[in-house]
Amino acid sequence: MEGRSAAVDGATGSTTAVLRAVGLTKSFAGVRALRGVDFDLAADEIHALVGENGAGKSTLAKIVSGAYVADGGRLWLGDDELTGDPRRHADAGVAMVYQEPRLVPNLSAASNVFLGHPPTRFGLVDRGAAATRLATIAETVGIDVDPSARAADLTLAKQRMLDVIRALDAHAKVLIMDEPSAALGPVERESLYRTIERLRAEHVTILFISHDLDEVFRLSNRISVMRDGELVATRPTSEWTKQAVVEAMLGRDFQVSTRHKEAERSVTEEALRVEGLRVPGALEHVDLDARRGEVLGIAGLVGSGRSTLLRALAGAEKHAEGTLHVHGQRVPWPRTVSRGLRYGIALSPEDRRRYGLVLGMSSAVNASITNLRAVTTGEFLRPRLLLEYASKLLAPLAFNPSRLKVPAGFLSGGNQQKVVVGRALGVGPRVLLLDEPTAGIDVGAKSEMFAIIDKLAGDGLTVLFASSELEEVVEISDRILVMARGRSVGILSGERCTARDILELAFGVEREAV
Amino acid sequence: MTERHAEPAMGPQPVAPRRRPRAGAARALGIELVRTYGIVFALAALVVAVALQNSVFVSRTNLLNISSQWSADGVMAAGLTFVLIAGGIDLSIGANFNLCAVVAAAIGQHHDPGLAFLAALALGTGIGAVNALIVTVTGIDSFIATLGVSFALTSVSEIVTGNQAYYVTRNDFLSLGAGSWHTIPYAGMVMFGTFLLLGVVLWRGSYGQKIYAIGGNREASRLAGLRVQTLYGSSFVLSGFCCGLGGILSASQLGSAQYNIDPTILFDVVTMVVLGGTSLLGGFGAMWRTVVGWAFIAAIGNAFNILSVNSNYQNLVKGLVLIGALAIDVYVRRLARSGAT
Repeated sequence: MEGRSAAVDGATGSTTAVLRAVGLTKSFAGVRALRGVDFDLAADEIHALVGENGAGKSTLAKIVSGAYVADGGRLWLGDDELTGDPRRHADAGVAMVYQEPRLVPNLSAASNVFLGHPPTRFGLVDRGAAATRLATIAETVGIDVDPSARAADLTLAKQRMLDVIRALDAHAKVLIMDEPSAALGPVERESLYRTIERLRAEHVTILFISHDLDEVFRLSNRISVMRDGELVATRPTSEWTKQAVVEAMLGRDFQVSTRHKEAERSVTEEALRVEGLRVPGALEHVDLDARRGEVLGIAGLVGSGRSTLLRALAGAEKHAEGTLHVHGQRVPWPRTVSRGLRYGIALSPEDRRRYGLVLGMSSAVNASITNLRAVTTGEFLRPRLLLEYASKLLAPLAFNPSRLKVPAGFLSGGNQQKVVVGRALGVGPRVLLLDEPTAGIDVGAKSEMFAIIDKLAGDGLTVLFASSELEEVVEISDRILVMARGRSVGILSGERCTARDILELAFGVEREAV
Repeated sequence: MTERHAEPAMGPQPVAPRRRPRAGAARALGIELVRTYGIVFALAALVVAVALQNSVFVSRTNLLNISSQWSADGVMAAGLTFVLIAGGIDLSIGANFNLCAVVAAAIGQHHDPGLAFLAALALGTGIGAVNALIVTVTGIDSFIATLGVSFALTSVSEIVTGNQAYYVTRNDFLSLGAGSWHTIPYAGMVMFGTFLLLGVVLWRGSYGQKIYAIGGNREASRLAGLRVQTLYGSSFVLSGFCCGLGGILSASQLGSAQYNIDPTILFDVVTMVVLGGTSLLGGFGAMWRTVVGWAFIAAIGNAFNILSVNSNYQNLVKGLVLIGALAIDVYVRRLARSGAT
């Protein structure tokens, strides 16, 4: 650690900075993602960027790479000012490795790396030269990749490495990696780490975003923590502890959060018990239990498997296996949604426009499509029944009945969510699964949604609530299941339902003895 | 992996629906009107134009004649409408129709017409079921799957007939195609009956709603608990049944069937459905649209006869009309989008 930090001069490292940003701001649709960020990268350092979901890490990275143009502030690479254009940033020496590699799946590894500027001979692509050039670069950083392999046939790790090789070929000075280890196995991670260290030895400065504090501490020279669009602290890694990083990510506001429901809901009747749930490639050994009238929050970082868990419970994952008890009765794992519905488990999926609604059909039909029998006689739709049924379902959710005939695509986000939740309630479920029900809806609609969830739980419904907003999970849940890398890592209850405890569990921070 | 929240969580996703500014309301209404009823106006214009040349075109006899002559196309278009709305395409309808007609005629030569018709209906439905199995079990895109089935069926027709025509002279066999009730041809009644029945099923039927749903958003429908694969497959079965019905009508009308009854029927039927405005992408369309599309193509075909224009130009005109109609649709959609913001 000591040796590596040598290039960094003091806390700011400004004297040897290869990249410098001052006062960067950026908003999306009125929401401020960056609120004046000052940032720098020292020559030959490995710089880690950490923060909660939505803290602004990716936005910052994309401004540096040129993918986004900042609304305000300035950015320099050495003495050149960068003004936001991926091409020009790349020419200046900034490259980015994305989580989802941007490749042409049917072209070879070599063709992908040299896409747009392949080595040529007599005007024709010189495959031999391309292969040699790729192999040479790969060698220097210890990557083993077959130049002629189809990109689609490579593992995710190697696909990401093609981006790295491309960056080296372009003589990048700064390489940004957005969660480079996400979805990689332990062996692949190790080889990734080795590659990153060798890149640094080749005088490439690295900025990487990570949700894995172990790798952050292992690799980085400096750590920057972001929160709510601000860069709250940058310090040499040796001056951080995991505890300190988590605290910086949270800020003071979340230290104490009020729990208001635990006392009122003391029902202990078990509604749902899951043991050893497995979904190949996504979930590994998930256990949970939920009680009648309880809101069980599901928290975890991006990629932790929250949505897959809910989909598996609803019967939407064909390859799910595990032990399921519904109201004390052991039942075969549901592999179709209609089977899940028969168990009384109903899902309100994430991303309502994509997974929740048929946008061209009316709100009323969308709300009834699972239960058309309720609005038909002899297989034919009764428009009056349809409107009555839909308004009966949606009225308790404060949905304006005059919007029932409007195509779902024209509703506001809050109203769309009500249609999706209402539909799930229409089958009379005993367990309601809510996946990101508050994503992208305004504050008013959000508090309405919370009131609804509270009321439903009060009526004895079991609610599983997954959200990437920790504060929301903390606010609404009686207990919280924490997920990390496709596993359930613990259930928090009572005093321990705090954002801090969630993050500590998710990051695997050892809790100090009190 | 299914978690979609890449940072920033509040990123640039569509949040609120677009609201049309009041000033643009009239324009928006106009655009909406053209998009929805453009094809109706076009049909009206076509009818008026042809009728002005020759008033026989709109005579009762001629209209009834059209309904009979184009009945097989209409019946098949009604079935195909379901497949398109469900998000697929059935390119085997032409070959299916032909084989069903051949089988109906072959059996009808020596046996009871009831038996011949039932056999053809069963065959058409069975071929539809094969299509359904291929697209749902193997997951092959319906375009390719039904294209392959189409080739196979055409070949079977050639083998079965040995390139010879089957002639049927029994009057009871011919009465379906040639007979009429108070001058209204049975074939036309069968077609309009099919339009009506399937139209109501699509419009108000629980089945129809589910077909719209899976075509509009298949994954959302699956998560809502619909049996997406079964529904999707069933639309091909229905389309196959309609081909059987079309084959019967044709065999009975012509009193014969060979391996190449109507080489352009596939294109005619697809054109009818698409021209009416039913989307090739699934989720959008209606039976009345198909009826209008049917009328349009039938009217063009009939006009060539009545105005005694060289019929070699007929398919040229149909092709240009189809391309023109879709080009206008795309243009108007673009207008609607730019007008809305």
